[in-house]
Amino acid sequence: MKQLSTLLLKEWRENVRNYKVFWIPVVFILLGVTEPLSNYYLPQILDAAGGLPDGAVIEFPEPEPEQLLVAVMGQFQTIGMLVLVLAYMGSIAGERRNGTATLLYARPLSFTSYFLSKWMMASLIAMISIWTGFLAGYYYTAVLFSAVPFGDFLLFAITYSLWILLVVTMILFASAAMPSAGLTAALALTVLIIAQLVDGLLGSRWIWSPLKLPNYAAAFLDIGPDGGAFVGAVLLAIICIFGLAAFGIWFSKRNRSKAKV
Amino acid sequence: MNVLEVRALSKRFGTEQAVDRVDFELTEGSATALIGPNGSGKTTTLSMLAGLLESTGGEIQRKKGLSVGFLPQYPRFFPWLTALEFTEMAAKLSGVDPRKARQQAQRTLEFVGLHQVAGKKVGGFSGGMKQRLGLAQAMVHQPSLLLLDEPISSLDPTGRREVMELLKSLLGQTTILYSTHILNDAEEMTDQLLFLRKGRLVEQGSLDQVRSRYADPQIQIRFENTDAAERFVRESPWPATAKGAAAVLPVKAEEPVMQDVFRYLAANGGRVLGVEQETASLEDIFLKVVAEK
Repeated sequence: MKQLSTLLLKEWRENVRNYKVFWIPVVFILLGVTEPLSNYYLPQILDAAGGLPDGAVIEFPEPEPEQLLVAVMGQFQTIGMLVLVLAYMGSIAGERRNGTATLLYARPLSFTSYFLSKWMMASLIAMISIWTGFLAGYYYTAVLFSAVPFGDFLLFAITYSLWILLVVTMILFASAAMPSAGLTAALALTVLIIAQLVDGLLGSRWIWSPLKLPNYAAAFLDIGPDGGAFVGAVLLAIICIFGLAAFGIWFSKRNRSKAKV
Repeated sequence: MNVLEVRALSKRFGTEQAVDRVDFELTEGSATALIGPNGSGKTTTLSMLAGLLESTGGEIQRKKGLSVGFLPQYPRFFPWLTALEFTEMAAKLSGVDPRKARQQAQRTLEFVGLHQVAGKKVGGFSGGMKQRLGLAQAMVHQPSLLLLDEPISSLDPTGRREVMELLKSLLGQTTILYSTHILNDAEEMTDQLLFLRKGRLVEQGSLDQVRSRYADPQIQIRFENTDAAERFVRESPWPATAKGAAAVLPVKAEEPVMQDVFRYLAANGGRVLGVEQETASLEDIFLKVVAEK
């Protein structure tokens, strides 16, 4: 673990110098403010787009602030996750493929530190991104509509953060296991999509599913999730994170010979 | 004392035998050139020694506590790091005390002539500068064994000369195993030659040993002028050939027949300026080894 700080510094420099530390949070902030702004200005947007036919009258029900935050999470679940996959799919597979990993692997490298440095940095940026995105959405929702109780919002964001940590671990595991960044994206997205489909089919029976964390997060803005199911899902998510990280470390080491020399 | 012993080292990729039961030893402080045509297994051998590839057979015995520095043929760097940042990271990851790593990186960059661009990002470096940085990262932790894959092949003649001088200055302190196909340069810096062909070690030994095995037995007798040389070719009892003002005899210097030649020259020859054993260049040997085995 002596190498962890050295590798973390390398990851930090990479994320700063290729601007990931700036542009990923900006994307999430934009996703966060789009929902409250587009809902608030919907009449003006429709007018600008040519307006309604003469005589047509549409009543726009004012959305509940909780609904808007759930819609923000919906944006994170699609575009946000895609951004994270694209940003970190090459973390390990890309370094192996372009040969930059060779000069690291030719040393007495701790693959635990190597994987963890990437995981910690990707997780940090993902956390900064979703929290700034959620806070921006929370602020505009409060200003333009009304405020959600901050305690509920915190539970909502913390629960969703655990889900995003699982997603980041999945991406890095795939990057360690797959030979290229493209296949990493394919594996990570396929697993996430199929898992959510399976969860949709078996969801009512399998309530301890980590895939339900976004639903449980949303439930905190309403009446709150079922306590037992929530704790089970959280525990399972933590076990999955540790399991995927352990396999990610193992694959990083096993695939070191695939680095371009 | 050997720092590394390689026994029956093999590597198979699917059905292809890239390295086939290779044996050699590296003596402490020696320079060994790994020579062979493209695809002969040089890079695979070096990659196994550097720990990048697992062998599929044989064994590598390293001296206890052996530290290794490796320079790939085309070193690829993180373009967003500066030369100093990269070299310092390389030092720390190789076990250098973090408090001394920066100073050691600076010293190494100075040694390879990159101290003036130490703060510049590697993305803007030329091929020659990257090769020097590759050398710096390989030696920043002062390894006892340097493994260099074609360290000079991609450089222009000036860069090649400079890097060769750098490497020569390390001789004696560090054991060096390097692959090359620039044979003139290998002649300058080698205690041991290893010839690989299709993954097999087909010849090994010191330059003199290999030369004596492959050199054509040729003695060149230099005369004062071409007439004298041609007269020798015409009148002497040996099958000599003329080569300008010299006559070439297909015998070795140590063969008994040379006594007769000297006697003949003393009795009949014109003025002889010199008698030399012709030495084969490494390139001649390479072509023979590759063709014969």
